Amino acid sequence: MTTLVYVLFGVFFLLLVLGAPIAISLGVAALATYLTLGENPLAFVQMAFTSVGAFPLMALPAFILAGALMEVSGISKRLVDIAEAFAGPVSGGLAAATVFACMFFGAISGSGPATTAAVGMLMIPAMSNRGYDRGYASAVTASTGGLGVVIPPSIPMVIFGISGMGLQPPSEAIAEHGTFQTLSIPKLFIAGIIPGMVIAGFILVVNYFISRKRGYCGLSEHWSMADIRTTLRRGIWSMLAPIIILGGIYSGLFTPTESAVVAIFYTLVVGIFLHKELELKPALKTLETTTWITGRVLLILFTATVFGRLLVENQVPSYIAEIMLAVTDNLYLIWAMIIGFLLFVGMFMETLAAIMILTPVLLPIMYMLGMDPVHVGIVVVCSLAIGFQTPPLGENLFVASGIGGCSVEEISLKALPFAAASITAIFVIAYFPQLSLWLPRVLGY
Amino acid sequence: MKKKLLYLIDNIEGYLCQFLLVGFVVLLFVQIVMRNVFSYSIPWGDELATYAFVWFAYLGAAYGTKLSAHNRITFQFKMFPQWVATFCELLTDIIWIGFNIFFIYLSYDFVFNRMNLFWTSQTMGVPMKYFYFILPIAFIAMTIRVVQKNYLKFFKKKNAPVAEEKEFDSIDKTEREEPRLKENGGE
Repeated sequence: MTTLVYVLFGVFFLLLVLGAPIAISLGVAALATYLTLGENPLAFVQMAFTSVGAFPLMALPAFILAGALMEVSGISKRLVDIAEAFAGPVSGGLAAATVFACMFFGAISGSGPATTAAVGMLMIPAMSNRGYDRGYASAVTASTGGLGVVIPPSIPMVIFGISGMGLQPPSEAIAEHGTFQTLSIPKLFIAGIIPGMVIAGFILVVNYFISRKRGYCGLSEHWSMADIRTTLRRGIWSMLAPIIILGGIYSGLFTPTESAVVAIFYTLVVGIFLHKELELKPALKTLETTTWITGRVLLILFTATVFGRLLVENQVPSYIAEIMLAVTDNLYLIWAMIIGFLLFVGMFMETLAAIMILTPVLLPIMYMLGMDPVHVGIVVVCSLAIGFQTPPLGENLFVASGIGGCSVEEISLKALPFAAASITAIFVIAYFPQLSLWLPRVLGY
Repeated sequence: MKKKLLYLIDNIEGYLCQFLLVGFVVLLFVQIVMRNVFSYSIPWGDELATYAFVWFAYLGAAYGTKLSAHNRITFQFKMFPQWVATFCELLTDIIWIGFNIFFIYLSYDFVFNRMNLFWTSQTMGVPMKYFYFILPIAFIAMTIRVVQKNYLKFFKKKNAPVAEEKEFDSIDKTEREEPRLKENGGE
């Protein structure tokens, strides 16, 4: 087993440092391991087809396409308007509106950078017009964009669900902790709602105090009922989008994949006939974007599946679990170690790639410790989402810097209080499993 | 005319992918409508959509290669002079080509020598080997794209048309921005 670990991880990290594409690093490492072990690598071919040919995975391109179309159909813009009208006179109100807009947008989009871009393009200029520091405005947006993947629907949760559903709890774990709850994508989605609100709440508190100190006052003296009504009326079709997506999943009318497909057609109808903003050229562009993002992710999925299977077949996760338990059997400490590790990985690796690589290792370990797989999924997604706002690979930072015109260094510095708030929130979510598990249970999942 | 044809061939994976994407999204939608309105669903619908999706995914990976969209970790190159990054990229591209060639051999062998015509898909009854055929095709396409990218870079002094440079003002700026950032991480 030691040779296996050395070859697998050695080759993988060497190639990563040399700057090879992540997918290829995983593939070559797995291939080298197969050849060292003297096994027939023909299994590669079958896994290439079966890992990608899974019905639930189609949710990935469908949600990316739906999100991109919502952008060009004016659905996102109207959601931001609503959030802005509700913020009214509160201290730091526009920044708070940004947080709410990210939550709304999170409910129609499954991607962090997409949320940052959609909300940031409208809110960062609006905030700087009202005397907010541009760096601060960008930092708020970059920090809350990550909510897009915690509030359902969420592409990382789809990926976690698919990676995790194939892993049955080990029999030793069942013997020790009894049977486990099952893992499903709708369940993960619904479990993300309260944790998303917890993170948003922490960010809102930090924003409130910073804004008060700096004297960022509200938009207006009072809440304007007329404004709220107008934006609500204008945004009625946008508000319906999350209801259709989530309502359809939970009423059992469609699967998560199908709900994304319905969202695509809903957006087309709204964009063409109701908002009358959808034009052919941008619509075609969304197809192109969807193509390369999906191709990139699924190539990683294929090689990560082979990589993960090698780990699981050779009992590497239970070995790591043993080492961890030898250090401490305190659940809080173990969670702290895992969150720290996830934050570190999230800094350097793309979220979906990280989920695909880590789930086969992490989930069996957590089963051994008697954790609920849904709770684990939520903590993993939340922790990796922080990586969106931390250098060197924080996509949200780059997006926000592109929109706001501040340097990435300045934004990441100003995003530190928010990162601290989000990390605190993640510890709260990890230490109180009921935050994630209560809602799915009440709704009978 | 000839120019148009060349352009078409240069973007062939992209067009095929867009066609497949629209295809399986529409097919899934028809399925949903049929099921909920007429309580009937096309028996082979989900299967065909899934296989179209596999084709879409692997051709999309080849298309992504052309746009240099495959994530690499490059921030470590900031500490070194530019030639280190250039050299490492060439080296890893060669490793990439090597991996692809091996995989093309494996999948070709699998499709043509191991799969018989009796192994058919569950609902359509079509031999699975025709669906698996995409694996050698897509990896050949991907290899060609890696070579093309390096040829343009070293002999024509032209960097590959990176995703977002081509249409910078596009809507989904974020997602497009990413590959370029990763690439430029080394500068």
